[in-house]
Amino acid sequence: MRYLVRHTTSYEYSEPVSICHNEARLVPRQTPHQRPLVSRLVVEPSTPTLTSDTDYFGNVVHFFTLEEAHVRLSVSAISEVDLEPFEPPALLLSPAWDGVRDRIRRDRSPEGLGALELTLDSPHVRRADPLIDYASQSFAPGRPLLDAVFELTRRIHADFAYVPGSTTIATPIDRVLESRRGVCQDFAHLQIGMLRSLGIPARYVSGYVHNTPPPGRPCLVGADASHAWLSAWCPGFGFVDFDPTNGSIPSDEHVTLAWGRDFSDTSPLRGVILGGGQHLVRVGVEVARA
Amino acid sequence: MERRISTATVADAADSTIPTSAWGYRPAAFGFDEAFESDASPRPAFSELFAALSSLGEDEFSRRWTQAQRVIRDNGITYNVYGDPRGTDRPWQLDPLPLILGAREWAVLERGLEQRGRLLDAVLTDLYGPGRLLSGGVFPPELVLENPGFLRPLHDVPVVRGARLHLYAADVARGADGQFWVLGDRTQAPSGAGYALENRIVVSRMLPEVFRDCRVERLAPFFRTLRDGLAELSPRNVDTPRIVLLTPGPYNETYFEHAYLARYLGFTLVEGGDLTVRDRAVHLKTLGGLQRVDVILRRLDDTYADPLSLRSDSSLGIAGLVHAVRAGNVTVANALGSGLLEAPALLGFLPAACRALLGEELFLPSVPTYWCGEPEACKRVLARLPELVIKPAIPAVNSHEPVFGGELSRAELAELEQRIRARPGLYVAQERLGLSTAPAWNGERLTPRHLSLRAFLCRRGQGGFEVMPGGLTRVASSKDSLVVSMQRGGNSKDSWVLSSGEPLELSLLRAPGQKVDIVRSGGDLPSRVADNLFWIGRYIERAETTTRLLRSLLTRRVDDAEGRAPEVGALLVALEDALELVRGTLTRTGDGLDAELARILVSAHPSRTPSASVAAAYRAAGVVRERLSVDTWRVLGELHRLVEHARSQSDLALADALEVAASLLLGFSAFSGLATENMTHGPGWRFADIGRRIERGCFMVRLLKSTLVSGDDAAVLDAVLETADSAITYRSRYPGIVAHEAVLDLLLTDETNPRSVVYQLSALEEHVNRLPRAGRTPLLAPESKTVLRALSVVRLAELERWARADPQGRRANLDEALAELEAALPLLADQLTLSYLAHAEESFTLGGTEARS
Repeated sequence: MRYLVRHTTSYEYSEPVSICHNEARLVPRQTPHQRPLVSRLVVEPSTPTLTSDTDYFGNVVHFFTLEEAHVRLSVSAISEVDLEPFEPPALLLSPAWDGVRDRIRRDRSPEGLGALELTLDSPHVRRADPLIDYASQSFAPGRPLLDAVFELTRRIHADFAYVPGSTTIATPIDRVLESRRGVCQDFAHLQIGMLRSLGIPARYVSGYVHNTPPPGRPCLVGADASHAWLSAWCPGFGFVDFDPTNGSIPSDEHVTLAWGRDFSDTSPLRGVILGGGQHLVRVGVEVARA
Repeated sequence: MERRISTATVADAADSTIPTSAWGYRPAAFGFDEAFESDASPRPAFSELFAALSSLGEDEFSRRWTQAQRVIRDNGITYNVYGDPRGTDRPWQLDPLPLILGAREWAVLERGLEQRGRLLDAVLTDLYGPGRLLSGGVFPPELVLENPGFLRPLHDVPVVRGARLHLYAADVARGADGQFWVLGDRTQAPSGAGYALENRIVVSRMLPEVFRDCRVERLAPFFRTLRDGLAELSPRNVDTPRIVLLTPGPYNETYFEHAYLARYLGFTLVEGGDLTVRDRAVHLKTLGGLQRVDVILRRLDDTYADPLSLRSDSSLGIAGLVHAVRAGNVTVANALGSGLLEAPALLGFLPAACRALLGEELFLPSVPTYWCGEPEACKRVLARLPELVIKPAIPAVNSHEPVFGGELSRAELAELEQRIRARPGLYVAQERLGLSTAPAWNGERLTPRHLSLRAFLCRRGQGGFEVMPGGLTRVASSKDSLVVSMQRGGNSKDSWVLSSGEPLELSLLRAPGQKVDIVRSGGDLPSRVADNLFWIGRYIERAETTTRLLRSLLTRRVDDAEGRAPEVGALLVALEDALELVRGTLTRTGDGLDAELARILVSAHPSRTPSASVAAAYRAAGVVRERLSVDTWRVLGELHRLVEHARSQSDLALADALEVAASLLLGFSAFSGLATENMTHGPGWRFADIGRRIERGCFMVRLLKSTLVSGDDAAVLDAVLETADSAITYRSRYPGIVAHEAVLDLLLTDETNPRSVVYQLSALEEHVNRLPRAGRTPLLAPESKTVLRALSVVRLAELERWARADPQGRRANLDEALAELEAALPLLADQLTLSYLAHAEESFTLGGTEARS
């Protein structure tokens, strides 16, 4: 499946901004099922300062500076990607979750350390007992890891209400757990927190979902905006995506942009401005079949 | 198991029988005393000091100490204590008796410290690169990967010559057995090296004979190594790389030290807002434009250094700094991410790291530290909880004060145990170390105090580390306290290392004969500094002119208690105008008026009073004090204390108020004298003088406008001349005649009178034409045009016409001309701000505001 993605963020300021520095993670990643074809980052007003770099997690980071005074800024990322449909992994054939947990604690190979890192606390995700209390009914001893993780994904989808505007980026996950409401970012953080509290490695994934469902299937939540889900790590399977907002295992409708420990590692666009007064921000995302 | 080193038993000289008096000092009953052996004889290192003290005598010692304390106060050596109601600037706490270490015991400690510096540098290189310590199982991974000090954007980023640690400090202490232990490592931006230097200056001046006779190792060579070592790490191959010292600003607890070190080392002191990133390189905003920065010695914590790539809530950092570092365009010392090693949990794993990375045994042990994240260690800790000190494993994750198990009730211990069991990885336990004691002077006699020594190391350009011979000794605030902290009211000591040979005399100035490029300071003044100097000039002048006006009024009140004199009314209007109050606000007659005038003199309200202006000047000066001479700072300090003191007195009588005004005026003239005679007449001085000229011009124009536009009273003219400090000149020129035209000439158009309006404008014209960016284009800059226009108003003045009053007694032409001048001066200030000083805008972080699905 080929998609054309256009993600535009525009800022308008009440007073001129004399200088701004920006960091963007807006280029789709290469994955076993995703092949980026073309990617362009268009900044207006245009700037000769655009450079690109790769971060700790392998995401492409663009850095640019606007040195002339400006009252509006727009950043558009236009990408074309090929997504290869694939069979969902054989969840029941995955190894027992508790065995994986114990093994990760001891494994000091590069892969093992990479997995261990994703069982630890990060800025937006802290391990906690109430998270275990919720998750543990899906994690009977010896249960295949991916099977348990997917059940948890579906439980979150069933138990939590998708309510846009009910949270902000600063809402901690224990509050989300209590209120049982949130948006994609909260559900991703929440399930990551549950998995990590049990000792299972999980990372945060930012990206998009396609908005026209195949005949007979419902429209996915999260279209026309940035979307977020998670990947759990399982020996022999690698990273497997789960989308608690839709209660599904992503296949060929999720375009992956970046991943990291949580949102703070993947923020699509971050900037520091000098001046500017009040500002108004608009974000538009279109994902179309090419 | 760490190896212990025994140093205390190594005596430096065999002779330990010197019968010296220590003024009845008694060491503590238990533990190791730095000055005395257990048999109460003085240790060799201290014997010279005690001999000298007994010949000096207690009275002389006391007298010199009083003098030294005045130096500390006058030099403005301060330490900010957070949340201290006495204000942020607290005088530095120093004990006059130094800690003295003999050459041989120092050599042992020095060797251990040097190895530790190399080790920690190697640990940083490993953790930010290959990660052998993690893959080899030497460090528990979570102590690094879950540590907020592990900055992922800096991982795998090469640094110049692989150098990450440049200035490092270790807090060391001796246990009861006299062995040295490291209590903690300071690896990101250690403070105290500047205070150690300042302590040395104060104490060596107080006890010059002793200092000389003891042959104390000098500190200057250490700072030269630091400076030269940093210069060698410039990413650009330039002769004189630009090195800046980055401070969080004047509210930081050790700001004094930042300013002091910057001046001593010859680095530019900057705040985050002074720097900007262009083309992935760091630049300093100066009057002359942007200038490339090569090396940043930072006193800012890691995570605050860049709001773009690190903590977005930091307003102190430099947006884009991480990208500049990643591009290899700037060296940050210590490297960003080095704070990682300050976590106490790592202490217990250093011996193994030392074997793994250096192939050596760790020579200088850390105080035994157990990380509860290891189940075995945790079990042992819980079994001995009352004997141990519990600290956060990684303070950035879980900050709390150290808990002494022995001081807890049974219930509290149980509660602590429960907390540790719930999240063992958050805690470490340390053995209690009974810090050594040394004599401290409490004003009357010597008493034992517990202490620890902060030792400093800096990287040598060619590799390896140099240890400062000495350091900052910190002393507990009370006899029984084992807590050694300047934040908690502790004291400090100079620390002497005795030389085995002749101490190396050295100054930080270059040796004669070396080729030097002649430099005239010019455009490299940071814009923020120029801005503050500009305001110091304005505030001081504002304080001076309003004080003069108040004095004129107060003297007239002495002669005229009834308040009938017409000039009092005119001067009150002038005062209201100068203070920007609505006319008629002030009381016009009676005792109420006296009290009101005295109150205005010393009160901080309204905002333009002399007292408020002095306070504002003092604040602005505090931000740029590394640019001011010690004398200038002292004069400002005196002025500040004077108004503070006067304000604290209730009901200032008329005579007292006059006295205060006279003292203030004396202080103002001392300040201007210093500014004129002692400051290089570069752009810094220019901006201070521009501020002063603009303010004086404004005041004079307003004074004339308030008093001379209408009315015809000779007494008013007289009062105006006096307020403008021009009465004597006037009387010698026009004996017995008081005429508007003559007064206007002297105060408005006489180019030779330093108080006249035209004098201010000519000076301003000269200044603006000599600023760094003047003359870059053939067209006149806007600020030059404004001055020129104002100048032509006064130079083309028609005094006779202006002085003539209409039948209603008004001088409309004068009013019009003065109105034009009154508008021109603030316009000039705005234009200069826009051209040179505009940088003070606030920065904001955007992001995380995307539509979230």
